[in-house]
Amino acid sequence: MLVDINAYTGHWPFSRRKNNTCRSRLERMNRFGVNLAVVSNLNGVFYKNPQSANEELWEELKSEKGFRDRFIPFAVINPLYGGWRNSFEESTGKMGMKGIRLYPQYHGYDLMHPSCVELVKRARDKEIPVALSLRMVDSRPSSWMDLSIGKEWALKDVVPIIREVPDGKFLIVNIANSTQLSEDEITLFKKANLLMDTSGRNIFNLGELLLTFGSDKFAFGTHAPILDDLTGLLRIEALLATEADESTRELLRSGNARRMLAH
Amino acid sequence: MPAIDRRKFLSESAFAVSALMAGGQLIACTAKDEREAERTTHAFDIMREVMAYRKIDSHAHVYFTDDSPAIQIDFADRLGIEKLVISRPMEPGSKGTPDEFIACNNLVLRAMKQYPDRIIGQPTLNPRYPKESMEEINRCIGEGMVGLKLYNHVKISEPLFYPVIEKFIDLKMIILMHVGIGKSRITYDPTEPPNVSIPDDFVAVAKRYPEAMFQFAHLAGGEDWEDACSALKDSPNVFVDVAGSNNDAGIVDFAVKSLGVDRVFFGCDNSFYQGVGHVLAADLTEEERKKIFFENYNKVLRKSGRHVS
Repeated sequence: MLVDINAYTGHWPFSRRKNNTCRSRLERMNRFGVNLAVVSNLNGVFYKNPQSANEELWEELKSEKGFRDRFIPFAVINPLYGGWRNSFEESTGKMGMKGIRLYPQYHGYDLMHPSCVELVKRARDKEIPVALSLRMVDSRPSSWMDLSIGKEWALKDVVPIIREVPDGKFLIVNIANSTQLSEDEITLFKKANLLMDTSGRNIFNLGELLLTFGSDKFAFGTHAPILDDLTGLLRIEALLATEADESTRELLRSGNARRMLAH
Repeated sequence: MPAIDRRKFLSESAFAVSALMAGGQLIACTAKDEREAERTTHAFDIMREVMAYRKIDSHAHVYFTDDSPAIQIDFADRLGIEKLVISRPMEPGSKGTPDEFIACNNLVLRAMKQYPDRIIGQPTLNPRYPKESMEEINRCIGEGMVGLKLYNHVKISEPLFYPVIEKFIDLKMIILMHVGIGKSRITYDPTEPPNVSIPDDFVAVAKRYPEAMFQFAHLAGGEDWEDACSALKDSPNVFVDVAGSNNDAGIVDFAVKSLGVDRVFFGCDNSFYQGVGHVLAADLTEEERKKIFFENYNKVLRKSGRHVS
């Protein structure tokens, strides 16, 4: 079984995305053997009111049973936007969304802003994960209207919120920059209930990262349709037997995702 | 892939979603549902796919580190990459003296001796030193290297390069040139010097030397690949490699659509998973994938008689 913990529908305003609807994503999942995918609506990054994007995704998911069966929706929440507490409750209640995604860089707030900390604690209380993406696209070739290059995060940048809410659940995705942490920070990561996905470019040597962080800390993810559908899987399946036995591979394919998403 | 256990998984996680979406009524997954899900999700063995294609990495490097080139060969072994076209460009911002490029080329020669069946060496030079550069071409090609790798010391369209290009026309070998990153941001990345080559430089030099072969480096290396492919559309003697760390989902498809499949090379530039992954994930026919992974570059090598059999 294969579960993608990092996928999207919707548009990216600076370049055309293909395979960005539930239907086309499902076709790609069928082609590449992906059973389930955590999905959010990219439009939520850019709409002033991200709840409109959550509603769009909900409506699309409702339109076909096959979508509901195969996608695990996450809501995009901006904790500085009016009515965010209602948006959070509605998304994770009536809409049945199983986690939330935050975009501090795009929504213009600090990860440690009191409202953001409150939101993360609310997610903790509901036992649902909070997803943080180190970057959305490679800043270098992105549009002159996109975030500046220095806005990309390294792994170290998400440490404060994990330290602040150590009993929360976190998905850290698109690990595109440095994974260097201090010994204390690695200990914090090991103790935390978190997963890192395999889509990002700095999952350069997954075998070594498994040794550093533990095999319970990683899971398959694509970051599709922004990144390709297969590189994240290749990083798992190309591991040598000495780096990951079959039970470890199963954790990476679906076992760790199952643990994280269950509640 | 193991049979899907959707009922169990959903009961622990996503099942609650469909239940809530149906208005709060819990819906039991039926055996029919499970059979349907199994029918639509094909078994996909990615490593079988990976190993099904012969591959030449058209853009690879060796490094002045203890683990190189062994680590590059390790990645190549995992991913079924048969040959790596390896070079060692000079450091960014260096003066690019003959001592520097000779040291780089010596490193490549050592790698070739270490892995003679896997590594195709590619020399580097600096045309600001014309005499030493021509001597180095003769030495390196004589030692079995193929083609040329250039960095950002001099623009590919500068007249200083003309004698070098003419030499490689005679040799029937390709010239791989680094490309500046960050075009979409109007200004190039701060690490790029003023002399870095940009798509317009390739267009100019390709027009001046239509019989030469140029390789536009690493579409996935942080440059604006849509801008590049659009600019190079009418320069048939410019090939592109899809190497680099930015495995944006659209690169390979866009390159094939813009330039034609015959002008696209597989490459990694040390980002091995991305290099293989985005070619496999692209919407290509099997024949197109074979061309990109292996045949297109081997066709170039064949012109000089140094192809892979």
